[in-house]
Amino acid sequence: MAASNDNDIIIEVRDLVVKYGDRTVLDGINFQVRRGEIFVILGGSGCGKSTLLRNLVGLMRPYSGRILINGQDFTAMNDEERTDARKRMGMCFQGSALFGSMSVGDNVALPLREHTRLEESTIEIMTKIKLELVGLGGFGDFLPAELSGGMKKRASLARAMAMDPEIIFYDEPSAGLDPIVAAGLDGLIRKMQHTFNLTSVVVTHEMESVKQIADTVCMLERGRIVGLGALEELRALDYPYVQQFFARRAQDESQIDSAEYLRSLTGLE
Amino acid sequence: MTSVVGYSGRAALDALHAGGMVCVLIVDTLNWLFVQPLRGKGLRLRSTVEHFVEFGVRSMPIVGLICFLVGVIIAMQSAYTLEKWGATKFIANLVGISALRELAPLMTAVLITGRCGSAITAEIGTMKVAEEIDALHVMGLNPTKFLIVPKFLAMLVAVPCVTVLAMFIMILGGFLLSCSPLVGVDPVIYYEQTVNSLVAKDMVTGVVKSIFFGITICWVGIYRGFQVEGGAEGVGRKTTSSVVTSIFLIILLDLVWTTLFYFA
Repeated sequence: MAASNDNDIIIEVRDLVVKYGDRTVLDGINFQVRRGEIFVILGGSGCGKSTLLRNLVGLMRPYSGRILINGQDFTAMNDEERTDARKRMGMCFQGSALFGSMSVGDNVALPLREHTRLEESTIEIMTKIKLELVGLGGFGDFLPAELSGGMKKRASLARAMAMDPEIIFYDEPSAGLDPIVAAGLDGLIRKMQHTFNLTSVVVTHEMESVKQIADTVCMLERGRIVGLGALEELRALDYPYVQQFFARRAQDESQIDSAEYLRSLTGLE
Repeated sequence: MTSVVGYSGRAALDALHAGGMVCVLIVDTLNWLFVQPLRGKGLRLRSTVEHFVEFGVRSMPIVGLICFLVGVIIAMQSAYTLEKWGATKFIANLVGISALRELAPLMTAVLITGRCGSAITAEIGTMKVAEEIDALHVMGLNPTKFLIVPKFLAMLVAVPCVTVLAMFIMILGGFLLSCSPLVGVDPVIYYEQTVNSLVAKDMVTGVVKSIFFGITICWVGIYRGFQVEGGAEGVGRKTTSSVVTSIFLIILLDLVWTTLFYFA
């Protein structure tokens, strides 16, 4: 029983603490992501959600704590092991991060060319399939600069999908897109999950998008998890920040502690 | 007083930190240049050739033009003095020596700094700002292998090649001016003077200098590129400082090598 349970968990974060210098950005983060689900990390600006994502993909080293991916400790790996682990994950960056000097097709083909010994003709076909998958068939010869914002994100997803990963990380997939394009992208995230049983970890602050795609939501406030569970469970939580987020209500100015405010102005203790 | 101590202490720490960062970059590059290829990780030869074309071949027209003009200028300045003694044939010696030992390597390095050093910083800086460096990491592609080694190799070969060309063009510039009716040296005498006055060591001096100039341009460009933070403004600032730092270090290195070759 326990064994099959372990098999279902693809990412496990234990007591993660991240610091920038002396400032603690993430404090005691614990959660598990099940295989094949869409796990949304939700939170306001500056709550540490991007930092959490950067730790999950290994772009940052945590201060303490463990990140287990497929049961292997990602934080304790050497460079070679990490490179191998990364071949099984993909990431869509907020600004797409396509290489501007290469065509869209070359961007998608890059991981295949670098990590596999496939024939060039096979790579070309695989590239076309991936581009077709995200609705960009026929755009392979375009440069990233010639694409719209939504198309760039789709191309970025195609590149993340190139190595047929198990996990895809999305950093703010709908940021800066109009509602229609954003909804299209949400649909695409769902489609990837259904078609390939892909595990997705999505960092976002868009409630609309969360309602569309989330299986599990992890809500962060100032570096701590304040809510973890299905969307409905979170909605039922009696915690002011969570309720505020759902109701899209501004921070109540009157709630600010006057003594703390005074301290912040004068710098005196 | 404390502020002076504090300031110099901080400056020293910053310099130490920068030095450490450069050392890490150098070790990493040498690793991906020599060690990893032996372990079957390969070099990116196509990218290296592309960069060589950009740094070397495409720099040739402007470097050629400017070095031709500089050749004409030194010849004219030399003629100004030497005419008084009726020793205009020695223009050949002056032009030859200054071109080979000093001006061709220096002009080439400064021009390539402006053309390519700045471009390296801007490219890496923009990639960093656009999260493209992060994307490389996440895709399991090493930025050193991918971005730095091809540029380093290309620069290492391109700068000496362009410098040698610049030497010949500079001498040609001096030759054409001296043999024109303006100064009127006999072409055959000028040729003989040039050939007799120059030794292999002069050429070696210039080429050795140019190799180190190439390394400097590349390193400063890359280091400044990775320092970029905070969007387009940061790219602009670091690109400027890349050119300034690079030219400063080139002049400094030039002094060191000139001193060494003077006594050697």
